[in-house]
Amino acid sequence: MSHLTDEELVLHHFGEAEDPAAVAHLSECAACRAALEALRRDLEAVPVPEPPERGADYGAQVWARLRPLLEAAPVVSFEPARPRAGRREMRRVWAPIGLAASLVLAFLLGRHWPHEAAAPVSAAARERILLVAVGDHLERSEMLLVELVNAGADGKPVDISTQQQYAEELVGANRLYRQTVVRAGEPGMASLLDELERLLVEVAHRPSSLSPSDLADIRSRIESRGLLFRVRVIETQVREKEKATTKTAAGTHVVS
Amino acid sequence: MTRPGNDLTAGGIDRLTERMVGGEDEAQAVTRARGGDTEAFRFLVERHSRGVFRLAFRMTGNEHDAEDVVQETFLKAYRKLSAFEERAQFGSWVHRIAANCAYDLLRARVRHDDRLDRTEGPDGDRTMTVPADDPSPERLVAGGEVRRRLRATLARMSALERSAFTLRHVEGMSIAEISRALDLDASAAKQSVFRAVRKLRQALGEQARWGITT
Repeated sequence: MSHLTDEELVLHHFGEAEDPAAVAHLSECAACRAALEALRRDLEAVPVPEPPERGADYGAQVWARLRPLLEAAPVVSFEPARPRAGRREMRRVWAPIGLAASLVLAFLLGRHWPHEAAAPVSAAARERILLVAVGDHLERSEMLLVELVNAGADGKPVDISTQQQYAEELVGANRLYRQTVVRAGEPGMASLLDELERLLVEVAHRPSSLSPSDLADIRSRIESRGLLFRVRVIETQVREKEKATTKTAAGTHVVS
Repeated sequence: MTRPGNDLTAGGIDRLTERMVGGEDEAQAVTRARGGDTEAFRFLVERHSRGVFRLAFRMTGNEHDAEDVVQETFLKAYRKLSAFEERAQFGSWVHRIAANCAYDLLRARVRHDDRLDRTEGPDGDRTMTVPADDPSPERLVAGGEVRRRLRATLARMSALERSAFTLRHVEGMSIAEISRALDLDASAAKQSVFRAVRKLRQALGEQARWGITT
């Protein structure tokens, strides 16, 4: 038999060798044993990232952060379904969206205001406006995604007309934010908003009554692309940046 | 009427923890959590948080990302508890979820990170460019350079390569477990491990020693 291939050596090293002939060859071939030993030495040199220490109460801290999220989205199928948000509740959620869109417009106006004229808002203020608006938009999008992921746990068709109305309005705001973050030079966020927009459009244009397989399809689209997770991650980053810019602005204000 | 599995909630987590020290008790906690007992789920979260954090940190290499992965993992676990097979180990199951969450995060991060110097490989996967005139391994070790170089190589790998390699080499998951955790077929998981190993050895300047294939 010829010498072991690179892949066979790796499999052997990890204890996953499949071919009995290859295993037998190794016991007879000094060159292959030497190659295996060299591989072992190389992999031993690979540094294993040492996680920072977590205190004895780390589990309790994780639970404290997690608990409100579980309450907000009790999604385990054995629990009775959460009553769907009523239209009044949706309207309450909606109210800030028009405001956020106006704020983004302010951002755009500020950015493109002629330099010789007095700008309506400073660059720092514009950045804060954008961060607040996008953070709020992502939070609302997250609510919708959570509702969609959790809908239809009982395996019956679900009326998603309320969510569709929500999605339709989010599409308009999303488009505005996407264009704004592209102009602001945030390709990562622009890409997320682009993906989010495609999903929102799809939800808005589906029939209002969805079968369990339609819902599974939507869920799979959200989960396979890690959309909900990415929305949460970017939202957290946006909120942190927002806090940092607010602190900086406060510091600048005190100094001046 | 008391709901089945809720008999411990009045006593709180302390009594629950006292009673649940072994695998059998964990199985009871899973059953209770599936029945809607959030204190039982709390027990599971508290018991596995550190392990999940360690896995997430090793995969993402970043404390903040690892914390995000911990939270997302337990949210997903809570949502999917009804799909958990009670014969399985909760710890293994939740670690698979964590690996999947970390992989998702790495994918999202790699896609949007234009700062790294990468080239597209023939299979569309991102690969790093290795200089041909690397110094010898001995000199690298002597200069304390080898770990930095390997770390940089790991950081520049595709999300899939890094995830698969870390899960195999550091966490000791089998190829079959990795393929389940990352939602891949076994061949893709295996090839990712191969590519990762090849890149690491290239970074060590070991290409000449790497294979003796005929």
